[in-house]
Amino acid sequence: MLTELLQGTDAGGFLIIQDSASYSGRHLLKSFINAALHREEAVHVLGFEVSEEELKDGLIGASIHRLHFHNAYTDPLGWTHNPAFTVHQFCSEGVTQLVKQTSQSKPATLVIDSLSWILRHVGPPAVCKTLQQLRKGGAVRAIIGLLHADMHQRGTVGSVCHMATSVITVAPGMKGDEAVAKITKRSKSGKVMQDEEIFSFKEDFTVVVQNRPSQLGLKQTETEERETDPTANLTFNLRLSDTEREAKEKLALPFVFSKEKKTALLHSGRGSGRILYEPDANDDYDQEDPDDDLDV
Amino acid sequence: MVTMEPIFTDSSAHPERLSGQLHTGRVRLVSDRQSDASFLIHHFLSFYLRARCKVWFLGLVQSFNHYSAVSQRLGVSLAQAKEKGQLVFLEGLKESLSVLIPQDTNTGSKAMDFLRDPAVGLKSLYEFVRSSVSSSGSRAEGAEEWGPLVLLVDDLSVLLSLGVSVGAVLDFSHYCRATVCSELQGNVVMLARCDGEEEEGDGDDEGSETLLKGLTHQCSLTLHVQGLPTGFCRDIHGQVEVCWRRRQGDGQSTQKKLFQYKVHDKGASFFAPGTSSAVL
Repeated sequence: MLTELLQGTDAGGFLIIQDSASYSGRHLLKSFINAALHREEAVHVLGFEVSEEELKDGLIGASIHRLHFHNAYTDPLGWTHNPAFTVHQFCSEGVTQLVKQTSQSKPATLVIDSLSWILRHVGPPAVCKTLQQLRKGGAVRAIIGLLHADMHQRGTVGSVCHMATSVITVAPGMKGDEAVAKITKRSKSGKVMQDEEIFSFKEDFTVVVQNRPSQLGLKQTETEERETDPTANLTFNLRLSDTEREAKEKLALPFVFSKEKKTALLHSGRGSGRILYEPDANDDYDQEDPDDDLDV
Repeated sequence: MVTMEPIFTDSSAHPERLSGQLHTGRVRLVSDRQSDASFLIHHFLSFYLRARCKVWFLGLVQSFNHYSAVSQRLGVSLAQAKEKGQLVFLEGLKESLSVLIPQDTNTGSKAMDFLRDPAVGLKSLYEFVRSSVSSSGSRAEGAEEWGPLVLLVDDLSVLLSLGVSVGAVLDFSHYCRATVCSELQGNVVMLARCDGEEEEGDGDDEGSETLLKGLTHQCSLTLHVQGLPTGFCRDIHGQVEVCWRRRQGDGQSTQKKLFQYKVHDKGASFFAPGTSSAVL
């Protein structure tokens, strides 16, 4: 599913890459940027966390001119006198203006690096509102955001991811090169698909998806144990011949209450002892009237 | 090639050794959990001074004399470096006196102004760092030329204790990174400390854990110092987990490495787990 997502988000799509301190999702983000550039899309990056140099590092190629980096890294809070783009300018009008300034008629793909930076300064409701307006606005075709899930409360992460059409959570894999991606994709019909894939990167940021991880992690291949015959190689005979086996199976075990025994007990056969009882006057003992003199 | 510069005495286990080349534009986070990583700060301080870099030291927890005494043991004279202009030292403890005990003849810098109102944030501290770091570019005639700038911060967690919010500290470290690494092509080394066990979930939002996670996201190399999981040992003082977050240019895939260390009088030695000289 990762390869499908890399091939293109649908219009109006919102993809979130969730990472943590143990594994950075920026590399995957760059893969998405790379894929979009190769598809001849205009990509606008709102760069808060890393510098332009660092983001463009490794993304070579003729299509790099389609990548527009909006510098929100050097002064995101307006601490100097002429900031390029501050975090407070992150609203639907501000971003739309920014995108329309440099883009051609085709709607662009907006990449936000990172949503966590914005969420730290602008509250989740405002961020969600802006994202929703941008999706509907039309200036932006698709949005890809990087979110550091361990920097926010679960509720915040949940609310922002709820708006996304796809969420990829990355984590370190078993081997050094590999990483695990847990993907949740919501289609327009409402169907939710989930998948887990192991992937790694090639030099040019293309993603190589390996096999799905097995449920039990490192599964040991169990060799089939050949059943050993315990009755072989003995000095005495433990085997049964056919007649012996038949007799064994026919044998009724002494304390097992089988159906035959039950019928034998209930219906006594002919010739067996019978008990005849005639109640004696002395035997007629009424517990409640021992002297038999109550007129009841 | 090398991004890890500590002195390896039993270094046969490591492929990284000191190279003549110093990387620039890197942020290194030194952190500890229930341990004391300040020996790494002393190490980096003396290392960069010896490598003839211009060092800017933001010392918030100890006095200048403390660092000077330790550096003397490591073979570097801080007073001399300061005189030559190689080292610029902000003594946080001394500066904070001018805020805490205001006097009329107050010519102190605005660096520690956040102590007055921690909610305001660290913008003034950043401006102080920026102005002195930028002004160091304009040297007097005949002054020595130094290598790339290094900003050392000891330490960021104390700012949390002083009432500054986690967000403000993260903003401050971001701006330091933007100025020193990207603009001035220098390096940044920061120390952040943690007291408790590693917590899961969204319990304490304004804690040292969140700060540590936020700083980890910002940096390219983390050195996490912890005690040995098995307990106290006389010959091995603890372990350092080195984690490379950004991929190296050569596609180096190793992301994490664990070393054990021992702090001596004259520095620290690092070795692969199980290869301590006491054991071999």
